[in-house]
Amino acid sequence: MKRRKLLRIITLILGLATMLFFVYVLIVFSRVRGKIESFLPLTGGEETMILWVGFGLIMVLIFYLLSLYLVVRKIRHSEKMPFLLTALVIFGVIAVLFVFADIALLSDIINQYEAGLDQPEWSLLYPILSGQFVIAVVFTLLHGARFFIRNELKEIRRDGNVFQIVQFVGVICGGMGLTAGILGFFYPNSWNQLVHTTISTLILLFPYFLTVLYWFLVKFKEGDRQFFDEKQQLDIGSSAFWTLIVSSVVMTGLYVGNYYTLEGVIRLTWLPFHLFTVMFLFSLGNIYFSRRV
Amino acid sequence: MRLENRLRKYRFEHGEITQQDLANEVEVTRLTIHSIETGKFNPSTLLALKIAQYFEVTVEDIFYLVNEGEA
Repeated sequence: MKRRKLLRIITLILGLATMLFFVYVLIVFSRVRGKIESFLPLTGGEETMILWVGFGLIMVLIFYLLSLYLVVRKIRHSEKMPFLLTALVIFGVIAVLFVFADIALLSDIINQYEAGLDQPEWSLLYPILSGQFVIAVVFTLLHGARFFIRNELKEIRRDGNVFQIVQFVGVICGGMGLTAGILGFFYPNSWNQLVHTTISTLILLFPYFLTVLYWFLVKFKEGDRQFFDEKQQLDIGSSAFWTLIVSSVVMTGLYVGNYYTLEGVIRLTWLPFHLFTVMFLFSLGNIYFSRRV
Repeated sequence: MRLENRLRKYRFEHGEITQQDLANEVEVTRLTIHSIETGKFNPSTLLALKIAQYFEVTVEDIFYLVNEGEA
């Protein structure tokens, strides 16, 4: 409990610092955006200010991750899956993924400025930062109200809620991965294998990996080390069956649809398509089968 | 034929024990107890025996068969 209280204080401080950081970002951007769009030279001070935006984003990432840890921990000790907490996990995971989007957009803006090209990314950056700011405010207020350190239940011998959270994160990451893969068919010429396939796949797998890791830790803490109870095994079996059928149809459709262009963008995106299709369908299936009436 | 149960009644008679507490006792998730109680999931023999043992009754006291169409 002491460790969690300390974590709460650290997260609260990070939350306040994150809110100040977003104000700082607004000030920096209002100062440099005009110059960057007009391709005017930046002063040394302005370049340093932009560099600090990059460092600040690392702090924002840590804040979101710690907040998500506290939310998931609270869900683990809740009798049911509260809607508010589930929504916080969903928005928290999206906020984490958008930190990487911020870094990518800022990097694109600077590269295009240096190459003398327009930067349409500005129009995406502001709405994303605004959304992240709102999520940071909500998390910080809840940390301030000690919302995450009160447990509803003391003892849970067999976890069911963290397992559900893994499925929700799987649906988010799988859905976003599929969306990112589909973009390849609209912008095949600008598709870069390292950035748009390898790195973006790793980034989109990152929250899922962390959640699964936490679920593993929860399982190892349970006495008998049995990963699933009998109802979960049945649900996973049904979900795996439908995932096999639907993913086979989807991947066959992808193959047939690209039969004459298999050397094109599909060559670069088939693996993320496969991974995210399976992750999305399996997670969605587990949510459906565990909750069906 | 379908399997029905009196799990809710037995929980009530045992001091309104919560689904989570019963789940802890028989080492399953709360959702599994909820699914059994609402008739969405038929437990294994082992789990049915564990539940009966916890309430100190026979399996047939808690679980019983009903012909389709019967209330």
